Amino acid sequence: MFKDRRTRSFLDAAALSRLAAVPLFARRPMQGTVSGRHPSPHRGSSVEFAEYRKYVPGDDLRRLDWRAYGRSDRFYVKEFEADTNLRCCLVLDTSGSMGFGPTGATKLDYARRIAGALGYLALQQGDAVGLSCVAGGLVRNIPPKRNPAHLIALFDLLEAAKPHGETQLASVLHELAETIRQRALIVIISDLFVEPELLGSCFQHLRFRRHDVAIFHLLEAQEMEFNFRRPMRFLDMEGGTSIFADPTEIADRYHRALDGYLTELRRVVLESAVDYHRVLLDESYERVLTRFLVGRAHGRGSR
Amino acid sequence: MSFLQPWLLVALPLALLPVIIHLINQRRYQTVRWGAMMFLLTANRMARGFARLRQYLIMAARMLAIAGLVFAVSRPLASGWLGLAAGGRPDTTIIVLDRSPSMQQKGPGGGDSKLATGVHQLAQTLATLKSAHWVLIDSTTKNPVQLDSPEALLRSASAEATSAATDLPALLEAAYEYIRANKSGRTDIWICSDLRKNDWSPQSGRWQSIRESLLSLRQGVRVNLLAYPEHAEGNLSVRVSDVRRVQNGPAADLVLSVRLAREGDDQSRASIPLRFEIDGARSEVMVEMDKTPYDLKDYRIPLESKQPRSWGKVTIPADLNPADNDFYFAFEKPVPRHAIIVVEDAQVTRSLQLAAAITPDPGVACTAEVVPAEQVANVEWEKVSLLLWQGPLPDGDAGRHVQDFIKRGGYAIFLPPRVPGDREFLGARWKSWVASASKDALIANWRGDQDLLANTQSGALLPVGQLQIHRYCRLAGDLTPLAGLQGGSPLLARSTLDHSGAYFFATTTVPADSSLATDGVVLYVLVQRAMAAGASALGTIRQFAAGEPLPNNLPDSWQRLAGPDDAVSGAYPVHCGVYLAGDRLLAINRPAEEDQAPILDDGRVADLFAGLNFIRVDHRAGHIGILIEEIWRPFLAAMMVALIVEAALCLPRYVAKAGRPT
Repeated sequence: MFKDRRTRSFLDAAALSRLAAVPLFARRPMQGTVSGRHPSPHRGSSVEFAEYRKYVPGDDLRRLDWRAYGRSDRFYVKEFEADTNLRCCLVLDTSGSMGFGPTGATKLDYARRIAGALGYLALQQGDAVGLSCVAGGLVRNIPPKRNPAHLIALFDLLEAAKPHGETQLASVLHELAETIRQRALIVIISDLFVEPELLGSCFQHLRFRRHDVAIFHLLEAQEMEFNFRRPMRFLDMEGGTSIFADPTEIADRYHRALDGYLTELRRVVLESAVDYHRVLLDESYERVLTRFLVGRAHGRGSR
Repeated sequence: MSFLQPWLLVALPLALLPVIIHLINQRRYQTVRWGAMMFLLTANRMARGFARLRQYLIMAARMLAIAGLVFAVSRPLASGWLGLAAGGRPDTTIIVLDRSPSMQQKGPGGGDSKLATGVHQLAQTLATLKSAHWVLIDSTTKNPVQLDSPEALLRSASAEATSAATDLPALLEAAYEYIRANKSGRTDIWICSDLRKNDWSPQSGRWQSIRESLLSLRQGVRVNLLAYPEHAEGNLSVRVSDVRRVQNGPAADLVLSVRLAREGDDQSRASIPLRFEIDGARSEVMVEMDKTPYDLKDYRIPLESKQPRSWGKVTIPADLNPADNDFYFAFEKPVPRHAIIVVEDAQVTRSLQLAAAITPDPGVACTAEVVPAEQVANVEWEKVSLLLWQGPLPDGDAGRHVQDFIKRGGYAIFLPPRVPGDREFLGARWKSWVASASKDALIANWRGDQDLLANTQSGALLPVGQLQIHRYCRLAGDLTPLAGLQGGSPLLARSTLDHSGAYFFATTTVPADSSLATDGVVLYVLVQRAMAAGASALGTIRQFAAGEPLPNNLPDSWQRLAGPDDAVSGAYPVHCGVYLAGDRLLAINRPAEEDQAPILDDGRVADLFAGLNFIRVDHRAGHIGILIEEIWRPFLAAMMVALIVEAALCLPRYVAKAGRPT
């Protein structure tokens, strides 16, 4: 597949071959440049019947439905749905907090696996794939392209990504919403350590621009459970102030804060109709992607 | 609160161990790189509420548990005796008990007396405090009595009530002597008393020496006072001030003077029944007590018995102190008073003879016999009540006879000779005659409260001050002055030897010497009082105050005729009652000072022990609460409760089944 035959640590050929069995579908019509697997808002030449339309001069006579003319003595043109490709924009959070991984594998490692697999699957089915690395701003950006050689550049960028700096995800998402052309699949892979209210406005913005937004919310089990026993000094991985806390004293309030955040985030994603997936790092990324792809296949069809 | 093992309290700082461990734990924190800081920041902004309180409670429970354990093993004592057991177990514990009649006062609700309560409390307290030796100073003999254990105090005869007053300074002196002689280690002295002034003699100079003696002991002495200073408000005491058997024709009457006294300020009128028991016959008279003290003068009771002598007692109803509700007395036919007059100056004879021979009471025969000095050995001294001696002091056989007479209880009054010699008798001798510088030497003072020159029964002074002393003979020796002239020379003095009835008058009845003969009242009273006192020694009945030193001629074996049953025979002299000692009938009662004796105020008591390691606690008669007890159990219980609370607070909170937020 690749000319240089380099082995990428975040790619598993066996997993990719299994995942390739389920196509990646968009949940809403896309405006691709070439024919593809995804519904288009326009009429096209697929085998799927769309509607009858009155003949107007200039229409291709080959598309007249003679049987309809026989029944009604009027000229109708038979139209079919158009299938097109999509632009898949992978938004990868590379802020400092994505380097968290007490068991060895970091969130960024996990995010690379998801982004790499999705990029590969999209490109395989002829979709254009781009990658945006987000930290304190838009760190790196590769616009969506659909030629296979583009995948190497994408993988190189994924491999080179380092967790560093603070998160400005909300402002970058607003920026992407404006810069990416209409109707793209935007896949956000992040720990989303941003206020849900800010995220909500971003999602609404993306939705307004008719983008199909999917989110992989990466969380580490220790962040959820907060099961420390001894007093700890917590160093902010994004360069902020450190906090000294006795876990036995602060655990209750931490869990209350986490619960409140997750509840608020759930409300935001429901209101924004975002394809949201909470992912714990101890879960297999293959299973996560399978669930993602299957879920999208079930939701396909609306145009 | 004090402790039996106070040195274990040095472990009390261990209670800070949880805090120290907490601080160490805080310093041994781990550092972790953390991504989800927004939740920690939010958590920090939240109110800490119960979480912080819970931490403090856990810490406090742990500290309480350790402190409870340390306190429990230190064996705390519940009492107001701060520092009671400080320094640990004493080597010797000396107990000084005030067993005077006032200590038999009961509490307002009845029950045990002050003494019984005190003894019980001491036994319990000393059993708790432990000691190597326990010694009780017997309040009557002043001898130390070794006790096997504090409980032996409850059974000891030396801890029972007596009718005698207690000489607290003497007992403390005995305690000091015991410590010094036995070289005991650290010593605790325990005093149990009701702080009556007559028992403590606070004005006595002995207290100064007691303080200095105890302070000089290097082993350290601590004085603990268990005080019962509660007044017996309204308590009545009865005392017979005079008893006489008066022949009334063929019959005889008993003439009694009774004094009732009430403690406190209550002056209200009250009807008091006086019950008399004489020769087994009982009678009662109701008196209206309209003041205190109340005197019933010369109350006559016809005697049914023809016996020349007998005994009786007077009783009042029970009140707060049963020890002063009875008074015993004995009586007999008056003994004829016989005086022997030995003079070298014939001018003296007549006045002395008149003063001695004229009876003050028709029922009592008074005679006076003039005897030459060389015939003194032939006198029937057993019938003599008074010796009047004017001349050189007796020596040789005469001196021996006179000395025996005085020892037996007889009275003698010595007047100076014309020429003072160098003879000495009973520690006194005449020096030289002195003519008064002025016309007459004035009498500066005399003892009107007691002895031969005491005031009359109605309280009137004897006209001693009206006497004219033209010249007098100076006295030398160890004497107690009863009257003194200006310039300090004694006019009348008494020998200080034991029970001595020997008096020395510094002038004679010769008109050139004094006006004793012409102003004869003082001479007559003096002589008659001496004769009466001497005659009482001749009689077979005697009245004694309990604990008073007894004459040597009394037999050791006594038989009790009346009195409390709880006295052992050896202790009869300190228990009220009527006793038969040989042919003598003895009536023993509490000392007069025991009636209505004031109670020392707190400051005065503190002054007596100033500078000493002194602890005082006040208690009440009949109070059943124990003075001191170990209370380690509550501390152990507190420790267990603290551990349970700590465990409950440390229990992990219930976690939802999901385990993680969804």
